[in-house]
Amino acid sequence: MRRTIRRAGFTSGFSGKLAAGLLTGAAMLAGLAPRPSDSPASGPTLRIAVVPKGTSHEYWKSVHAGAMKAQKELGGVEITFRGPEREDDREQQVSLVQNLISAKYDAIVLAPLDDTALVEPVKDATAAHIPVVIIDSGLKAEAGKDFVSFVATDNYKGGKLAGDQLAKAMGGKGKAILLRYLEGSASTLERERGFIDAIKQHKDIELIDPRRFGGPTRATAQEAAENLLSRYSDITGVFACNEPTTFGMLLALRDRGMAGKVKFVGFDSGEAFIEALGQGQMDGFVVQSPVRMGYLGVKAAVDHIRGKSVEKGIETGVTLVTKENVTKPEIKELLSPNLKEMLGEK
Amino acid sequence: MSAPDQSRSRGWTALGPVVGLSLVVAFFFAVPPHPGVSWLDVRTVLVHSVQVGVVGVGMTLVIIGGGIDLSVGSAVALAGVVSALAARAEWPAIGVLAAGLSAGAFCGLYNGLLVTALRLPPFIVTLGTLGFYRGLAKWISHSRVIDAAPGWLGDITRPIPADPRWLVAPAVWIMLATALAMAGVLHRTVLGRQVVAIGSNETAARYAGVPIARRRVQMYVLCGVLAGLAGLLQFGRLRSGDPVVAVGLELDAVAAAVIGGASLSGGVGSLWGTVVGAVMMAYLRNRCTALGWENYVQEMIVGHIILIAVGADFLRRRRGS
Repeated sequence: MRRTIRRAGFTSGFSGKLAAGLLTGAAMLAGLAPRPSDSPASGPTLRIAVVPKGTSHEYWKSVHAGAMKAQKELGGVEITFRGPEREDDREQQVSLVQNLISAKYDAIVLAPLDDTALVEPVKDATAAHIPVVIIDSGLKAEAGKDFVSFVATDNYKGGKLAGDQLAKAMGGKGKAILLRYLEGSASTLERERGFIDAIKQHKDIELIDPRRFGGPTRATAQEAAENLLSRYSDITGVFACNEPTTFGMLLALRDRGMAGKVKFVGFDSGEAFIEALGQGQMDGFVVQSPVRMGYLGVKAAVDHIRGKSVEKGIETGVTLVTKENVTKPEIKELLSPNLKEMLGEK
Repeated sequence: MSAPDQSRSRGWTALGPVVGLSLVVAFFFAVPPHPGVSWLDVRTVLVHSVQVGVVGVGMTLVIIGGGIDLSVGSAVALAGVVSALAARAEWPAIGVLAAGLSAGAFCGLYNGLLVTALRLPPFIVTLGTLGFYRGLAKWISHSRVIDAAPGWLGDITRPIPADPRWLVAPAVWIMLATALAMAGVLHRTVLGRQVVAIGSNETAARYAGVPIARRRVQMYVLCGVLAGLAGLLQFGRLRSGDPVVAVGLELDAVAAAVIGGASLSGGVGSLWGTVVGAVMMAYLRNRCTALGWENYVQEMIVGHIILIAVGADFLRRRRGS
């Protein structure tokens, strides 16, 4: 198995100089940002841009909340959260990163929409001495050289976890189908790979992978799911690999009267999924910790600027949520963190 | 264009899309593995054509009137978000309905006023409002999906209708009723006939005393109301109002209209043909899934069907003139 996350110590040449420069003006802006007494805010406020893949999903709101938590705790940091509204608008994200470079942000925390298209903008940022931390989805570039660190869920592991759970729910036999997400999205491709590897362990499960991509929104995923279900009406297990595809599949299964009869494991969380779990229409879903991802992404960037060593790969964890554990407090915290409070909304 | 030519081209306009759909159906039956078309497939395809069909009917009216409305996709998203917000605020069903339709009507009115008052080309105006309505939808939803219970709107958009006597989802009947009603407007009302006159020859229509500006605004409002209806149905299907939904829908709607026999130079179009065009595109997506073809194959095929339809329109006009 190929591990996407490597661990190694990392220091950079220019971060030391930067930190030294920042320390000189230490007291100047003290009091501007709230900070706990144990973390010294140093120098002028660091402007950090957090760029999600999109802004319309709950998931990115959680990443935002995590980043805001980091702003509060680390001190001397100002977060700007900006992303393309649609999750397949590579062009918009590329331009956004280029604009952030010309606006001279102190660091960029980026969830790349595409593992290739964003490579050049990221290299440009690094060349302009703007450290970049990659979160959520991989980039075909070198951590520690082209960017500071890769802070993400181990998506392969998450997919495997989902595959094992689906196989268990199906009793180790039957026909399983996979609804993919988008061409070129590294995180979901890894989940799909993990899922397929887990299902292959079970000889009596026939895996159908029509390589159908659900597309960027709930509406496109719903339509793709309906087409799949009418073509493969004899399936006994389903896996969908992220929030829009899981939501679209859930709607399609319900409308077909197949919900509860077909075993169904999803990925990412949502109110509707928790409800479906309770009604026996879902057999589990794998969640990441986007709050933690936002927090650790910003922290990695700040640590790097302040001259601390940052690991090249930071894993943020995956958890399987089932009917049995959904009521446990630690799962509840993971599923419904108090975002409004963290984001300072009413 | 002389009279006999016109009647010949009218015949083609009515038959063309049906011939096209038959060819597409025949094509998929000829492809080796050809998995069977189940009743469920038919129901699914019909539901999938509602969005493009309803918006396409409005688009066809505008195209016949010599205009174009590129903002319909954004108007659908705006109407969807507005109706989801209304449903979440627990407005009664009639209120949700009114909210969605008004949002669409507002979009149409704004388009119509800009086109007539500023005398700008509709292509440019609606390209501008495409961005404006999309931004508006994102603004009022804070760029997030609005979850709400759509009630009966959700029921009428299910591929398998709750009451089997409907045969297909009630939303499909709504689409057909919309096309029928619009055909009535086009052929039996002064508004409809004058819209055709404006689209065929604006100068002649002006000399004939047609109130051009008023008719244009009415035409865009009707198109907007249908976008609002499509937004309501979209909200019903998704059980949520999504501000980023229906991007590129305007192109599908134009494609359906053109496949259906509408001419982008105005004056000609078939509402029935547009619905057939919408069904054809949904059928293609369904069959590509059934055959296990990847998404890109489907995009390449749809692209060429549009080319063929536009090419046929072009040849028809060249022969006619």
